[in-house]
Amino acid sequence: MTEPVVEIVRLSKRFGAGVLAVDDLSFSVSQGQICGLLGPNGAGKTTCLRALLGLIRPSAGETRLFGEKVKPGSDQLRRLGALIETSAFVPHLSGMRNLRLWWEAGGDKWADADLEQALAIADLGTAIDRRVKTYSQGMRQRLGLARVLLGRPEVLVLDEPTNGLDPGEMREVRQLVRRVAEGGATVLFSSHVLAEVEQICTHAVVMDKGRLVAAGSVDDLIGAAGAVYLEVDDVATARRVLESMPAVLHVDDEAPGLAVSVDGARRSELVAALVQAGVAVETVTARRRLEEAFLGLVEAF
Amino acid sequence: MLTAAVLRTELVKNMRRTRTYVAYGIMMLIPIIMAVAIDLNPPDVRGEGRLLYLASQTGLILPAFALRITSAFLLVIVVALFGGDAIAGEASWGNLRYILMRPVARGRLVLAKFVVAVFCAWVAVATVVVTGLVVGAIVFGTDPIGPPLSLFVGAQSTGDILAHLGVATVYVAWSLTGVVAFSFMVSCMTDAPFGAIFAGVGLYFTSLILDSISSLGNIRYVLPTHYFDAWVDLVTRGEWHSDMWRGVGLQLGYVLLFALIGLWWFKRKDVLS
Repeated sequence: MTEPVVEIVRLSKRFGAGVLAVDDLSFSVSQGQICGLLGPNGAGKTTCLRALLGLIRPSAGETRLFGEKVKPGSDQLRRLGALIETSAFVPHLSGMRNLRLWWEAGGDKWADADLEQALAIADLGTAIDRRVKTYSQGMRQRLGLARVLLGRPEVLVLDEPTNGLDPGEMREVRQLVRRVAEGGATVLFSSHVLAEVEQICTHAVVMDKGRLVAAGSVDDLIGAAGAVYLEVDDVATARRVLESMPAVLHVDDEAPGLAVSVDGARRSELVAALVQAGVAVETVTARRRLEEAFLGLVEAF
Repeated sequence: MLTAAVLRTELVKNMRRTRTYVAYGIMMLIPIIMAVAIDLNPPDVRGEGRLLYLASQTGLILPAFALRITSAFLLVIVVALFGGDAIAGEASWGNLRYILMRPVARGRLVLAKFVVAVFCAWVAVATVVVTGLVVGAIVFGTDPIGPPLSLFVGAQSTGDILAHLGVATVYVAWSLTGVVAFSFMVSCMTDAPFGAIFAGVGLYFTSLILDSISSLGNIRYVLPTHYFDAWVDLVTRGEWHSDMWRGVGLQLGYVLLFALIGLWWFKRKDVLS
């Protein structure tokens, strides 16, 4: 078990008008995880991320990065790259000047920035020297991602990073997140696009009304209430083996395989039992998608 | 080191902005228009203000006249613009949160932005004076104040006038720093830059109005604009008024008060924009 890189510890945030945006929220993200932060609008996701970045003061609890409490201007923010909601820049300056000023404001030398990667991500060509106010939303978002990566961050915090991007750009962002995570970075990723989270996240945290609904690996969350789809070489034997297992609630035909409702059993246990009975398992997946799991969790909350 | 880096980035943001140059351009234009107008329609010694009449006699006084006129309105708007836009402007772009995601303490950021706002405001004041001096010298010459004028306002050599003009420029710049500080304080509290700019302008005019109500008695002595024009006799007569020291002290209090409230507020502020 690696040490958590990001920790949200009993975080609560009440705004002036008495609105409780985050209520006693706790979760952690470990090194190398790509963690999706899910929740309906108003669930408190952005508030949680802002507290993590020191932009808002928690009413109670705290946030930690690399084991240290986050305060405004904390030095550990240097090891983090973040994109909160839309990308924003000084509109009358060029993309390049914006990157440079933002980098140098932190007291870092421009020569130390990973400009090559940033420019590759931004993919703006000669437009990088144009004023940002002439950019499209997609160009701004790409420049924002470039800014995030200038410092080779160990933690990426991305709040709806594919907003305003076309499908091709969205795919590039997903590939980028994977690539950064493969390099050892930890990613906390908020998105409304559940298929996107399912594709790239290893873990997920589900929030609603400011509170934690569920947290764990994406596989566990999808399978937690769940059903498993199996394709085997001998359906009849497989059905008999599965129905004999106490944790299996029922088995339904779902050609060409079987849909198995389970209560507490892990997929690996089902597969082990089938293999022991001489049944070859060709496919085993969660029958539900993350969207179904998410809606089920939130509605039950 | 870090403060210097933040200062530099804030200065670049302001100095690469069109509105900064539009403001300075207007400040340059006013003395030019005044010089042309005075040259075409010379004032009457009996019916016009002393400063205006002196400005028509020697170009060295034209910048003082321009300073007096602009500091009553246009300069107030310009300095309030620099103060009010400093933080609220950045917030309205949505860029403030990204600056604060850098390891920059909020106190340093506020300090850097305030220093740059004050610097830009002072440059605006200096622009009026330098332009006035150049245009005044070209149109009206650089004669000292000698007879027969000196019989009425006292003699002043060219060096004296320039020295007094320098002191007056610093005094006006410092007096307007209170307006910058108030706009800046409001800028720390809001995401609407125009609100902060108008707050600064509003403070100035409210103070002017209250200062004209003599029945307010001693309260008028602590109004931010009460000593604004205490410098005029220094330029026109070469006389130093103790009111100038009072003005300097009063502004010091206001500048510290407004800047510290702004800092206190911003350090506790939830950045949501």
